[in-house]
Amino acid sequence: MSAQGGVQYSKIAEIKGPLVVVDGVESVAFDELVEIQTTDGQRRLGKVLEVGNRKAIVQVFEGTTGLSVSGTSAKFVGKVMEMPVSEQVLGRVFDGLGRPIDGLPDPIAEKFIDINGAPMNPEQREYPRDFIQTGVSVIDGMLTLVRGQKLPIFSGSGMSHNILAAQIARQAAVVGTSDEFAVVFAAIGVQYSEAEYFRRSLEESGALKRSVLFLNLADDPAIERIITPRVALTVAEYLAYDLGMHVLVILTDMTNYAEALREISAAREEVPGRKGYPGYLYTDLSTIYERAGRLRDKKGSVTQMPILTMPSDDITHPIPDLTGYITEGQIVLGRDLFRQGVYPPVNILMSLSRIMKDGIGEGRTRGDHQEISNQNYDAYSRAQEVRALAGIVGKAGLTGVDLKYLEVGDGFEKDFLTQGVDENRTIEETLGLQWKVVSLLPKNELTKVKDKFIDQYYKER
Amino acid sequence: MGADSALERTVETILKNTEQQLITSLNDALKSSQSTIANSQTSLEQEYDKIIAEGKKEAEKLEKQIIGNADLDSRNKQLLLVEESIEKVFEKAISKLQNADRGADYSKLISTLLQESIDVIGTPEIIVQTNSKDASVVQSLLSKFPGATLSSDQIDCLGGIRVQSKDGTMKFDNTIDARLERLKPLIRKDIASKFGR
Repeated sequence: MSAQGGVQYSKIAEIKGPLVVVDGVESVAFDELVEIQTTDGQRRLGKVLEVGNRKAIVQVFEGTTGLSVSGTSAKFVGKVMEMPVSEQVLGRVFDGLGRPIDGLPDPIAEKFIDINGAPMNPEQREYPRDFIQTGVSVIDGMLTLVRGQKLPIFSGSGMSHNILAAQIARQAAVVGTSDEFAVVFAAIGVQYSEAEYFRRSLEESGALKRSVLFLNLADDPAIERIITPRVALTVAEYLAYDLGMHVLVILTDMTNYAEALREISAAREEVPGRKGYPGYLYTDLSTIYERAGRLRDKKGSVTQMPILTMPSDDITHPIPDLTGYITEGQIVLGRDLFRQGVYPPVNILMSLSRIMKDGIGEGRTRGDHQEISNQNYDAYSRAQEVRALAGIVGKAGLTGVDLKYLEVGDGFEKDFLTQGVDENRTIEETLGLQWKVVSLLPKNELTKVKDKFIDQYYKER
Repeated sequence: MGADSALERTVETILKNTEQQLITSLNDALKSSQSTIANSQTSLEQEYDKIIAEGKKEAEKLEKQIIGNADLDSRNKQLLLVEESIEKVFEKAISKLQNADRGADYSKLISTLLQESIDVIGTPEIIVQTNSKDASVVQSLLSKFPGATLSSDQIDCLGGIRVQSKDGTMKFDNTIDARLERLKPLIRKDIASKFGR
């Protein structure tokens, strides 16, 4: 940071959607931070999207409503957007651009970091390992989250993803180590009531102390949403790699982020890709998702849990589709389970944690974890088939074993999947419940687990 | 007599049988109660353990909540106090700057600011604005900067200059106020460190 600052230009050529075209500029850099000053002295922030022919296209984060070509000026600050970071950010609540909204002063910064982050050297990356306990059985037991992983939640409009996100933020912890744990929570385009719920939920549980909240509300300018995940990740990286914490970043809702990207792309008159999203949606999403991981010789880790609502519950929609290419698995919430009142309504048959195997087992969770999880997958998938069959031939047409599988399906949803919003289950409790579910089956049906585990944990019911 | 004794015997037999039945059912009831007690003891113990475990979990949750909120409250109060002190330091500094001596060193500073502004704007053809206190200092330096003219409009600032290109499309604020504002985040850190933060 220098004392010099930048030149203020008052020749505005055009205002188009969220973009302002400034004419006659010199020595302006791509991505440079811009202060737009309105006729009434109000200041808005923006960044340079394009420079050429002495013109600069500036994307105004707070929107261009009320700006006019005459009387508006643009000051090019001479640096990219930076986030002030220090340990003091913990326990604080910021808006979508990283400005405090909790009535407290700006944090006293240790450092100012470019919000776009520095790409991680692939050679320096360490493979994600070690378990993060969320206290939510279906995640810990069957879709285990691993430190350094990026595991998105695919949800649908109106489903309980935000309740689940807040529960994970409250309960998440690293077990078996004294390493510090922090949660960075970025709400992107959420309703005021939801934002209040997140804030209150963390405050009341005492988890705010180890959390940082970034709240971009639904009525905040859409363009701000482009910045929110980036400031959140900047803080997360500082906490992880400078302070050695294990950081879980929850980004909800990434669909709103993609919508904002589409808005800018349309204003720039770019050639649209699928469903009007820009052709670079994949690349852009990867600049966010790829900021998760662990680095060699660094103690901390950044784990990401982006949440996105699939328009019309369509998993082939470009946003979940492209997200799925970048991330390491997905947790899918099911509309049917949600309608049945099951919480959390995770459809395990469509969900997967690709690197779960490396974060579980002896010394991390328990020796039988992988096998009992496989057995539950197997039993529940069979239960679904039997349910479909029973719909055709009726229960009378089912064999004794089929009927047992029906019981397993119900038991799985009632005893294992269903959980209280404030219920924080340990991994031992979760594994115990998984054994309880499969113990409804005769021993000879347990083909995915070793006999020694059956002898140890199976309890005939 | 014969009929009476037969009746008595019958009554006695019935009584005996009834007594036997009663004793048997009492024994059965005793056994069943004992077994129920034995069974329920295990389930009671399990229930008891469950209640204790849940209570412990709830207590831990409450402890975490109370300690977390208290920590945060005290930290926030500390932040507000530090900020208040920082603001006081700034106020003092600003009042010192306002009354700073406009001597030779100050003239050198204005000269540097003028050169810097010309470099940033990219043209020597500039209009310079300043406050009433600095007008004479600026005016005396302008001969070294051909193309620069002093505006008759004065601005309200601590010191320094604000320049604009002659066509009015480019402006550069090089007042002490603007420089202070830009460096405030860094200065805040230095001041806070004096308070042990």
